[in-house]
Amino acid sequence: MIAKIICYALNGLEGVPVEVETDVNKGVPSYDMVGLPDTAVKESKERVRSALKNSGLLFPMNRITINFAPADIKKEGASFDLAVAISLLKASEQLFGANVKDTVFLGELALNGDLRPIAGLLPILISAKGHGFTRFIIPAGNAQEARFLGGAEIYPAATLSEVVDHLIGTSVIEPLETAMFVPHAGTRSSADLRFVKGQPMARRALEIAVAGGHNVLMSGPPGTGKTMLARCLPTIMPDLTFEEALEITKIHSVAGVLGEEGIVTERPFRTPHHTATTVSMCGGGNKIVHPGEISLAHGGVLFLDELPEYKRSTLEALRQPLEDGKITVSRAGGTFTFPANFMLCASMNPCPCGNYGSSKRTCSCTPAEIRRYRKKISGPLLDRIDLQVEVDDIEYDDLTSDEEQESSEVVKQRVDAARAIQRNRFEGSGILTNAEMGEKEIAEYCKLTREGDEILRSAFDRMHLSARARARIVKVARTIADLDYSEEIQPKHVFEAVSYRIFEKIG
Amino acid sequence: MAYSKDERAYLWLCACTRTDYRERVALLRAAPSPAALMEGAEDFFAAAGIGREKYSGNFAAREKETDKFIAYLGEQEAFAVTLLAEDYPESLKAVSLPPLVLYGKGRRELLGERKFCIVGSRITAPWAEKLGKAVSSEISKKFAVVTGLAEGGDLAAIEGALPSGDLISVLPCGLDLCYPAAHISVKARIQRAGLLLSELPFGEAAKKYSFHARNRILAGLSEGVLVLSAAARSGALITANCALDYGRDVFAFPYNVGVASGEGCNDLIKKGAFLVTGAEDILSVYGMAASESVPVDLNDSEQRVLEILRESGEMHLAEIAKRANLLIHEASAVLSALEIKGVAVKSGGNKYSVS
Repeated sequence: MIAKIICYALNGLEGVPVEVETDVNKGVPSYDMVGLPDTAVKESKERVRSALKNSGLLFPMNRITINFAPADIKKEGASFDLAVAISLLKASEQLFGANVKDTVFLGELALNGDLRPIAGLLPILISAKGHGFTRFIIPAGNAQEARFLGGAEIYPAATLSEVVDHLIGTSVIEPLETAMFVPHAGTRSSADLRFVKGQPMARRALEIAVAGGHNVLMSGPPGTGKTMLARCLPTIMPDLTFEEALEITKIHSVAGVLGEEGIVTERPFRTPHHTATTVSMCGGGNKIVHPGEISLAHGGVLFLDELPEYKRSTLEALRQPLEDGKITVSRAGGTFTFPANFMLCASMNPCPCGNYGSSKRTCSCTPAEIRRYRKKISGPLLDRIDLQVEVDDIEYDDLTSDEEQESSEVVKQRVDAARAIQRNRFEGSGILTNAEMGEKEIAEYCKLTREGDEILRSAFDRMHLSARARARIVKVARTIADLDYSEEIQPKHVFEAVSYRIFEKIG
Repeated sequence: MAYSKDERAYLWLCACTRTDYRERVALLRAAPSPAALMEGAEDFFAAAGIGREKYSGNFAAREKETDKFIAYLGEQEAFAVTLLAEDYPESLKAVSLPPLVLYGKGRRELLGERKFCIVGSRITAPWAEKLGKAVSSEISKKFAVVTGLAEGGDLAAIEGALPSGDLISVLPCGLDLCYPAAHISVKARIQRAGLLLSELPFGEAAKKYSFHARNRILAGLSEGVLVLSAAARSGALITANCALDYGRDVFAFPYNVGVASGEGCNDLIKKGAFLVTGAEDILSVYGMAASESVPVDLNDSEQRVLEILRESGEMHLAEIAKRANLLIHEASAVLSALEIKGVAVKSGGNKYSVS
């Protein structure tokens, strides 16, 4: 008898349906797998055999052929185990009366018959639902993640025998209840702008950056709180919407870094170390292509501490994703596009010794050393960082002062208001923030007064700005005006926007 | 470029032999004329106790060598100004060890103009750079500005004078090299608009002592020297001391007490250098008037912030905002307006100063 069971393979962030066909014939006992399974899939034979035996079921001693269709895509990993086991049982007529049609089986088997969770479950469920499947049997360990998919019957099972009992109807598994998405449902991070002492300029720059989706670079002596400021960024960013959360969860699920909550409820904050390779940043891999740090930071913040310490090639690789909001990774096995719409926040010391511009300590670097250090960040990359701000040396009095600092909550309200203005402005155009504006939108929404244009012209000449830098200044000015509830971009907004480009010296 | 027989002998001696400055002077003194020295080199070199290994060939070969060198200069679009040349600056002859040959690229006619030197150390405060640039630009209307090619003070002088092209930059290495290497584009711009000079032959890299030797040329070329910035021990002070030795005027920017990058300047002023706060302080010494400065158009808040800034010269943005009763980002906008209008300058670490 032939059994057909549906399961899913992962291709980038998309699930691809795979049919597992099993034929059990009379003849010399043998076990053949065809249809391009990789080693981990072939090894499922031993797992399935033990799991069946230890669940009190029979492993048929016949001539068994298992086919994975379509045959032309490569099947990898252990997530086919459950489908293979069920198809074997079905083919050997051990699932009498069970209806397995249109049910998707996902899960890895342990030798004792337990079901193990798999990576990338949510993207598979979302794709499968799109393909019209509504019934799923999944490992109980993935239940948290699956709860957020509405409109489907999802049965979480802890063991293979539970699945079998459920299918033949002896004891039924309760389908999962769909959970409501609540932003910040998990533990809120302990960072809060309230605890950042002083640093009025940096706070303002972060506020503008978040309000308009701009990138920001903080430069300052070591130990002045650059990292702490950066960690506050997610706390002032707008709450995740369900769609955003699902998209981020998909990426995190594929990468296998999903937390216990099952869905990402807070904006990601990724801090890859400066030894990170280009592949780990952008995504890649030998067979399975994994999303990189920039995709894991999608919808959130990518924080690069000590920017000049990163490898030049790694930083340059960020340029295209910074413009497009996505990254396309090409490998021999295929081309995959991952979303990578993140906010870049970077920090650096002003010079190798860190004391350049400090009021308390003297800098011991030669001009050539400072130049070499700063040159590690290329002009094109710097061009893409709209806000550059110096972080102050903190005085001891500042640290111990009780002066009440503005909390993240208050800043977030202003950010939300500015984002609301932007949402209205770009309604229906697919653009969310000022930073995403193209030339057309700039011409339409960022009309400068004549005075404002004059300012920009003289800044342009005196700071030797590039055309891109000009566009970016205009965008920042737009955001500052939005924070000010101002319809038009006034000269003071342009002046402030210009003041955030500290690396282009005014000549 | 046509060179006289004597000049050719100078070029041969300086570029084609391996003699040092002292030996060259001794040889030139011993021979009745440079041309005679070249013709009878064997005798004169032997008499001065200089070995055969320091030069090569017979007279014909030497002539050929010299022709080749002159052709090479032409290829490099360079020229040589020997001590005998008509346009060799008179003021440089007063130097104790005047260069026998100066190699140049660019506008040779600048050698004939009045020259004024502006130097500063590599680490120069932003306000001093900015003021230095303004002074240099003003001075370049009356003088050719003489300076080096380093960062900081030199670069401020270059940037001020380069638009007018009245700029002479003296290198501590051969003209085909660039020190610091990062200023290769600056060097190219000077070559196009102004004049590059060096006493060192092509291919000779900068050594520790070349800077000292170069500084004597800076001072020697100029009627006066302005020091933008100098720590207690600074190369810029060497130039100033040379200027004093040669009887030239010395000028310096004043600094706050205790500011490391200005201790040398304050010392110079103590010793009698002219205190300079603007180009007019220099021009008045030479009986010239500075051109009228155009008053900048400031609005109320800009005026108020500028006045606050003037009280103490340099101030932190947060402090300025507090005093002007503005929000930080408002103050930051006003200051960047002042900066673009050229009356304030950002001096690092979120501090601003007047300029």
